[in-house]
Amino acid sequence: MKHTFLIALLTLIVRLVVAGVFAFAALPKIKDPVAFAASIHDYQFIDGALVSWTAVILPWLELTIAVGILIPTIRRASAACIGLLLIAFISLHASAWQRGLDISCGCFGTATQPTTDYPLLILRNLALLVAAAWVLWRDCTVKSRTSTIAH
Amino acid sequence: MKSLTKEVFLIAAITAVGVAYSIFSGQAPAPWVEAELEAGEIRQVDARVLNPIWIDARSETDFDSAHVDGALLLNESNWDSGIFDLMGAWLGAPRPIVIYCASESCDTSKRIAERLRAELPDAEVYSLHGGWQP
Repeated sequence: MKHTFLIALLTLIVRLVVAGVFAFAALPKIKDPVAFAASIHDYQFIDGALVSWTAVILPWLELTIAVGILIPTIRRASAACIGLLLIAFISLHASAWQRGLDISCGCFGTATQPTTDYPLLILRNLALLVAAAWVLWRDCTVKSRTSTIAH
Repeated sequence: MKSLTKEVFLIAAITAVGVAYSIFSGQAPAPWVEAELEAGEIRQVDARVLNPIWIDARSETDFDSAHVDGALLLNESNWDSGIFDLMGAWLGAPRPIVIYCASESCDTSKRIAERLRAELPDAEVYSLHGGWQP
């Protein structure tokens, strides 16, 4: 019983941390999409109108899934989206590192942050990925257990 | 699986509402509008990438109430003192110069850019397309 409570508490803390990081990352980008577009442009991965669309859609998606991971109705899909986004971010940062791009990460919106420390950034995102996977696994397990009991 | 799809649709719908709010409230430029640039103009997104010296060509009152971080005040009424500050910044670390005024319709930034091109022929000088709003 105590063990179950501790796991539930740990899951709640992990959930809150992931939600906090994503919400904290989304808000400055929503406030200043032009600065975020400049950061996206720096990665030299996409160009033109796609940069503008990404700069306006991505922050709202981040905010939605940050809140969504706390709401039972959409928390599984939110955790899955967070995981997919983190995989995309890790790939993008690895690619920028490999190409030797001397840019700021743009993770929290402004293009004036110091130059990215790629290994640290990738490690941080890997840790968040593990956290998101844990939350998703817990949500799926609890959901399937609940369905079994209901049937 | 069906409920997961439903969750994804719900997330997409909420995101779409947020995106629509950003675009239609004017917080974000409409991504589908590719604005025409005149010669010597630059878009804000491109200007930020250059890490330029920002020049605020609006009035001193507007400058005091808000301005781009690190911008220098230079307009027609404070030309002598403003150009002195700009020369100091540009000679210390030469980089592109971007001048902004308040809106799409203001011409001050273009006039200041013309004067700067004449006074600093080696400098890369742009006026900001669409102006700057705090």
